[in-house]
Amino acid sequence: MSGRGTEFRETLLGTFRLDGEGRTRAARLDLRASADTVLRPAGTTEARVTGRIRIAGWADDPHLVGELEISPLARRRIRYRLAFTADGRRLTLDGWKSVTPLRPVRSMTVLPCTLYEEGKRVGAGTLRFPLGTGLAPFLASFRFPRREDADALVAPRWNGEPGRTEVWYTTATDHVTGDGLWLHHELVAPTDGSGGHAHGWVAVFPKDGPVEHARFGPEPWRGGTDGFGTRDVSVRPGRLTGTAGAFTWDLTERAEDAPLFTFPRWSWRRPLLPAAQILPAARATYDGTVTHDGRTLTLKGAPGASARIYGHGNARRWSWLHADLGGGDVLEVVAAVSTRPVLRGLPPLVFLRLRRRGRTWPRRAERPALGWAGAGRFRAEIGLPVWTVTGRSGLRRIRVEVTQPQARTLTLAYTNPDGGETVCRNSETADAVVRLERWWGRWRPEAEWTLEGTAHAEVGGR
Amino acid sequence: MSGYGGLVAALLADDGTRPWTATVPRRLADVLASMPVPARAGLRGAAAAVDAYAVARTGRRLAALGARERERVMESLGARPALAPALDLLKVPVLLAAGTERMLHEGGRGPLLAPPDDPPLDCVPAEEWPARATADAVVIGSGAGGAMAARTLARAGLRTVVLEEGHHHTTASFGRRAPLDRFAELYRDGGATVAVGRPPLLLPTGRAVGGTTLVNSGTCYRTPDHVLERWRTSFGFSLAEGMPDRLDEVERTLRVATQPLDVLGNNGLLALTGAERLGWRAAPLRRNAPGCKGSCQCVVGCPAGAKQSVQLSVLPDACAAGARIVTGARVLRILVDPDRPGGPRAAGVRVRRVDGSELEILSPLVVVAAGALQSPPLLRRSGLGSHPGVGRNLSVHPATSVAGRFPEPVTAWEGVLQSVGVEEPHGQGVLIEATATPPGMGSFVLPGVGRELRRELDGAGHLATLGAMIADNPSGSVHGRDRTLIRYDLSRRDGGRLMTAVRAMAQLLFAAGAEEVLTGIPKAPKARSPRELDEALAGVTARQLHLSAFHPTGTVAAGADPSRFPADGEGRLRGVTGVLIADASLLPGCPEVNPQVSVMAGALGVTGG
Repeated sequence: MSGRGTEFRETLLGTFRLDGEGRTRAARLDLRASADTVLRPAGTTEARVTGRIRIAGWADDPHLVGELEISPLARRRIRYRLAFTADGRRLTLDGWKSVTPLRPVRSMTVLPCTLYEEGKRVGAGTLRFPLGTGLAPFLASFRFPRREDADALVAPRWNGEPGRTEVWYTTATDHVTGDGLWLHHELVAPTDGSGGHAHGWVAVFPKDGPVEHARFGPEPWRGGTDGFGTRDVSVRPGRLTGTAGAFTWDLTERAEDAPLFTFPRWSWRRPLLPAAQILPAARATYDGTVTHDGRTLTLKGAPGASARIYGHGNARRWSWLHADLGGGDVLEVVAAVSTRPVLRGLPPLVFLRLRRRGRTWPRRAERPALGWAGAGRFRAEIGLPVWTVTGRSGLRRIRVEVTQPQARTLTLAYTNPDGGETVCRNSETADAVVRLERWWGRWRPEAEWTLEGTAHAEVGGR
Repeated sequence: MSGYGGLVAALLADDGTRPWTATVPRRLADVLASMPVPARAGLRGAAAAVDAYAVARTGRRLAALGARERERVMESLGARPALAPALDLLKVPVLLAAGTERMLHEGGRGPLLAPPDDPPLDCVPAEEWPARATADAVVIGSGAGGAMAARTLARAGLRTVVLEEGHHHTTASFGRRAPLDRFAELYRDGGATVAVGRPPLLLPTGRAVGGTTLVNSGTCYRTPDHVLERWRTSFGFSLAEGMPDRLDEVERTLRVATQPLDVLGNNGLLALTGAERLGWRAAPLRRNAPGCKGSCQCVVGCPAGAKQSVQLSVLPDACAAGARIVTGARVLRILVDPDRPGGPRAAGVRVRRVDGSELEILSPLVVVAAGALQSPPLLRRSGLGSHPGVGRNLSVHPATSVAGRFPEPVTAWEGVLQSVGVEEPHGQGVLIEATATPPGMGSFVLPGVGRELRRELDGAGHLATLGAMIADNPSGSVHGRDRTLIRYDLSRRDGGRLMTAVRAMAQLLFAAGAEEVLTGIPKAPKARSPRELDEALAGVTARQLHLSAFHPTGTVAAGADPSRFPADGEGRLRGVTGVLIADASLLPGCPEVNPQVSVMAGALGVTGG
């Protein structure tokens, strides 16, 4: 866990002159910068940049990416290195503000820069930060969001206590074939103190065909510092490999987003709740192969996510949804009924996190589960083949309807730490409809997503 | 007119009979304009003082006097020995201007063959270079060290940028212009860089693409073995290991060879004759000028393209390997990232263009090759000059010259400028080199004022000149951040060596058949025999000599002792990562010979070649 990061937005205006042209072109740069640490004015802060660049009559790329080196005092330099596409050509912008105490304002606002194509200069320009119109939005845009070390979130939590269960599971969709993939790795430490053992399974959900799966384990837990490991199966940051039955898989995982805490963050740090679930990366992409029965599923940038669960065991009843909504948006829902004496009488607690345009709604994970002392909490209707979640927070309300067709659902049974049997019904090719509305005099549609065979969902119970 | 008309007319005894004297004042004004402010102010003050003397004596200024009255004033001034040094100071630029005008009017400059095309260089004026750029290596200075470093780095595949404060001059441009016109452009401070001290030394250094190699005499001595041994054992200058191989490589690159006798010129031949009669070791010098035409203009850029200055020999190779040269680019400071893991690290350079605007180049490797006089101020401006050794340990070759009058015409300026080396007294730290220059450009000052000076000037064709430089104790220092102040105090030992050098040169000239030897010393200007010379020099010290100095070295010396040397034995500046010293300032002690080859071999070693 590495504390807080920094995010801000900046707009720069100016002109470029392309080599061989006798005129200048107006330019505008809209940047969103994101650093993994809190900005240190006296030190050096590296930040990632995304945004949009517009150069009149030549370039308009809304998918600019790059990096910032912010070191106004130590190195007296604020450097921008940005890559974008203009006119079908991949270009790089490299420039820096050279900070001097003799001209503090000018040197902090003027950015001379050079354009390169494959290392060769193709133009140069000067961008300026518009103090009059840009300063207030710039200052107001500063955020210092908490940052998590995704790799650390993959490390095992279990420290030998009896009556615990810990899960690493990964779901992905091959966007080429429409096939779904589910890898489940579980550590169970029974309450009788007989020590931990590891088991799990792999399942492939072909778009048109029966679900196939294979189990591995159980075998004694052999420990691990950075993930899950058995004799044939391992989960390490960025890498999933294993062999189970007729299945063999070797995948690399690349995080595409920040961690997502479906349950309150504190519940992961201090396991006070019966269990908690998190995603080390809200979205990830997968490359590699899964081979079974002579067939090979080849993933290239397949979207999905890995999740982690740690707690006393499975819930009494639960439902789960991971929906990649496209465009960087993602929805994660867990609705569960605890097995604890008093809690088991309550309706399902809903933990819903919608990450949209980099922001997570509702802001606090407790909000959908608890509401205001129960009032206004989100509601779930758990069932099969359709289950729903609805709720309202602030000026938005959401309705999620998940359909898990019988033919595309895999049913598996397994044992809780207390010896009880649990059955889960999972589909990595489920359908979902997510409707988001915003109140503005009346409820107006804000966004709607329909997922056909790309939602990852599960319903389970004892 | 320029205001110097009266002074020029008085010094040169201008009677209006020769046309070339009329344009000398204007030429003098141009010469002064290229000099730094203090030098200009000093000369103006001296001129004003002479004018004031004329007013006090005659009631009128020099310009208002007739030729006869001017001559009387000059005679009166010349009779006061105490004023002789000040008058000599005035005579230097006047003789420079007069020599040029006379040559132009009297056609002394023979028709030159069409110069060959220079090998191509990738030169970009700083105005056309972007305000922000990156490189793998930046080399500050394009002289002997910088060029060699740039070539090595570029050949290793690094994107190398060479920054040069001066401009690029082609061989063709040298042929088109008079020597003096080039003089002001090719030298820092118009050639009037002075080391403050007793006596003050004139210390000219080049400022152009090619650095001082553009304006040196082309003499290429290998570093003597005993010097290398001293550097290695006494200073821990580990680059001395493997130096012979690097010297070979440099000599190959510069096409160094013994100067053939055909274009040697009378000056050199007389030196050889004198040495032979004395039984002294002497030979034509080894030079980097294959096909030298004997233009005698090395010091203002070879108009024949024969001298293999680094912009003709090394930099083209560097550019062919991808290096780029930015001209008109004065480096303000080396940028340093103080917060890098492992300590401060070079990040690039900030450069000022001629128009005052600035540019920056980021580079993880910065090679300092700005010359021994400019590198210490640059390091101080960059916050890297805190080591007590930065700027100290300045070694130069103090030099003086002696002329001999021969009965037959010598026409010393036709032939090789620096032609013959006489090594007989080298064991005593004295190296005599037969050196003639275009009229007025040498360090030798003709004696007398007024009519006497004019007579000498008219008879200059019968003069042969020898120069001698001595191996000194490093007794100078370079001060300042933005402006350089050079301090040099001649040590007692070195004063003795200089007097030895004067005697040896006079002996050589008499042996070669000189009727008279001109010492350049105001107190004892002439001697007609060795005995007369001994009597004349009896009370003379080195402080009364006209001294120049060349080859500044050692101001950012490399050596093993961290408390003494700012750079380690491999040439890496201490206290920061990524800064290499690759110019003459690297050498830990006096090289005792013309140092171009030593500097280049050192730079080759520093950059790992």
